Amino acid sequence: MTGYIFKRLLQMTLVLWVVSVIVFLMMSFTGDPVFMVVPIDATDAEIAQARRLLGLDQSLFVQYGRFVTSLVQGDFGNSYVFRQPAMALILERLPATLEMVLVAMALALVVAIPLGVYAGANPNSRISRTIMAGSLLGISLPGFWVGMVLIFLFAVHWGIFPSSGRGDTAEIFGLRVSLLTADGWHHIILPAVTLSLATMAILLRMTRAGMMEVNRQDFMKFARAKGATRRDVLYKHGLKNALIPVITIFGLQLGDLIAFATITETIFSWPGMGKLLIDSIYRADRPVIVVYLMLVALIFVVINFLVDIIYTLIDPRITLK
Amino acid sequence: MKYLSETALRASALGVALMATTASVALAEKAVTIGLTADPSHLYPLAGEELSSNIMYYHIYDPLVKRSTDLTFGPGLAESWENVDDTTWRFKLREGVKFHNGNDFTAEDVVFTVEKARESIRPDLVANIASISAVDDMTVEIKTPKPYAVLPNDLAELLILDKEYTTEVGDEKMDREPMGTGPYKLENWTKEEKLVLSAFDDYWAGEPKIDTVTFRPITNPATRTAALLTGEVDVIQDLAVRDVDRVKSEDGFEVITRPSLLNLVLAMDMREKSPTIEGENPMTDQRVREAIARAIDANAINEIVMNGLATPSDQFVPESHIGHADGMSFREMYPVDIEKANELMAEAGYADGFTMTLDATNNRYVNDAQIAQALASMLAKINIDLELNIMPKSNFWGYIRVPTENSSFIMSGWDVPEGDAGSMYGALFYTRDKKEGYGQVNRGSYSNPELDALVDKADATPSIEERDAYLQEASKLLLEDIPMIPVHYEQDIYAVRDGIHLEPRVDKFIWAFDMDVAE
Repeated sequence: MTGYIFKRLLQMTLVLWVVSVIVFLMMSFTGDPVFMVVPIDATDAEIAQARRLLGLDQSLFVQYGRFVTSLVQGDFGNSYVFRQPAMALILERLPATLEMVLVAMALALVVAIPLGVYAGANPNSRISRTIMAGSLLGISLPGFWVGMVLIFLFAVHWGIFPSSGRGDTAEIFGLRVSLLTADGWHHIILPAVTLSLATMAILLRMTRAGMMEVNRQDFMKFARAKGATRRDVLYKHGLKNALIPVITIFGLQLGDLIAFATITETIFSWPGMGKLLIDSIYRADRPVIVVYLMLVALIFVVINFLVDIIYTLIDPRITLK
Repeated sequence: MKYLSETALRASALGVALMATTASVALAEKAVTIGLTADPSHLYPLAGEELSSNIMYYHIYDPLVKRSTDLTFGPGLAESWENVDDTTWRFKLREGVKFHNGNDFTAEDVVFTVEKARESIRPDLVANIASISAVDDMTVEIKTPKPYAVLPNDLAELLILDKEYTTEVGDEKMDREPMGTGPYKLENWTKEEKLVLSAFDDYWAGEPKIDTVTFRPITNPATRTAALLTGEVDVIQDLAVRDVDRVKSEDGFEVITRPSLLNLVLAMDMREKSPTIEGENPMTDQRVREAIARAIDANAINEIVMNGLATPSDQFVPESHIGHADGMSFREMYPVDIEKANELMAEAGYADGFTMTLDATNNRYVNDAQIAQALASMLAKINIDLELNIMPKSNFWGYIRVPTENSSFIMSGWDVPEGDAGSMYGALFYTRDKKEGYGQVNRGSYSNPELDALVDKADATPSIEERDAYLQEASKLLLEDIPMIPVHYEQDIYAVRDGIHLEPRVDKFIWAFDMDVAE
């Protein structure tokens, strides 16, 4: 296990390094950040001054060297646009994204697993067909469209939910969390539903496919024969064996939603970090983009690590080496 | 536990609500929520500029000279000013002005601000100030490098900082906890969520009518409309063109439009050899430039691409500006006439046309990419094969930058909130590399000694009337020579709920001090 963790850490460092190099190189093609900061009629002297103040007067190589040197000292660099530490900008917005994603993922699980088990156990019933057709819609409808429709129906037309924003927050351990206030829940429902639909549909289809596969196995019949109830057979024996691929996808989706909930955040003007990424790309704000993508890589590595551990809990035959 | 904390919260929320009601009964608190297109990047005026930040700056800080809604200039923190000689100005400062922390506003703060700006990322703010000194506590003396009649207009963009506070907290903290003399002070700012300002009761121009102003960044245009319709916000900036009819048809809302200062212009390369044109550059011939001007139908662009929400421009600067030539109109001088345009092309020896590339943005101006496409089909009628090179703004400004090594034909916007054509003509049309601070954005490499002389004369006189006369002459000359084609002014579109009084500013800076809410 220790060896495994060590190997994972090594891999992670490598991934983070590669991400930083790629982003640094890519960003040199996406425009000169100085021109996003200075006025349009700036003179050469004014531009030179801005370049110097932003630390952009050195070659790309020297800039990268500086970036890595300060990185190992725990300094992630300052945003060109905001002139503030890039890491602080991201972390400030992280809680909002996390709570929206957690609600969305919980929603996806609660809906997808039971429906998936049902559809897998009764593949030919009319209800199953309806469920499967619905899941197809969930996969194919683009998130921005669903978001707009939800806003139109539930906010503008019926006035049940607010159209945008985060609502009241309460502070806990220094973090601002909206899940502790009624107003916060009121605001989070629409974006969370929008964000969860696609994941819900994928998880549902994975669960169903797994269940159909497992249902053909002999141990399911034996379990039924030994007198276990149908419900126990499905959920205790069947689901557990169908769950491995579902968890893999769950992990990947979780990382994906945390990192790239951008569209949902923009539509509901949710103050999360995905919107920061898009804005930073538009403004060629390299420090923020680099740190953001490195953080995302880190999140993916950690989630996959956790998923691996969950495998061993579900299926004791799997060991981590 | 969870239950407990929730009840506790509810109880406290109730308490707050009760307090709020009692307060509103006693004082009739006025509040307004404004939906902006973006969160401000800064609250410290020397850290950078973009629209959302500018809006906040003018709530929190004050300039010496105040720019009104329709671009006239009057006393701000300076009560009056006079020319001592051609290059020396004296500004008498307003007595009894206080910063939000209670500090007195004095001449020292002004001197400090100018010096601070010079070291910052915005030295352009003080480019026309050679030196500044405090004569006494309430008077500053400013020297300009040369006679400069519109110095007060420039000073409308320089927001005065509190020397003591700014020195003490430093730039980074100023960005979070700003301190000015403006009508509103910062209550709290949750990035990307909301920014709340509260009225500064000791404001020198009187207590603001609205007590609390909340700004919410709502980037997505459709969401902005929805937030207005659901009553979550009272005012929105930049109502989407496609939502205009929808909001108009709804009861209880009003759509307000006004032409902006942003003039969309097409710069033509005037060098003998142009980067995207094979052989000689046809655009060195005035007849070719006129043909291009006559082939471009600004009215059609307005109707088809802009849904009628643009104003075709008659000159390079709006009528309100110093230097706008009386009674002249580009549209009347060069009405759309394809036949005439083709004749001009033939006369110049280009009956078969030529090929060149237009550089344009796709995320900077309203419908910019579509306008570029419309231009391509219009110029095809005079056999100019216009290839489009469209890119996001993050690449664009560096790509088209002088010395313009890649471009022959550029579409971009230009606005002059200082209300004076001089800075535009100096930057855009003055011969390149001839004089420091002139011609730095002359992307078409236009060079005309007559124009240079007129700009020089305008920049050498301390009299506004003379400056206006020289610049009008310059306008006339440019309209005849056509180094650039003005297309249209975009329109600013706002929507408000009934009961909100909003008079949009020409410079787009929404200012709650001028707004009111019906009780």
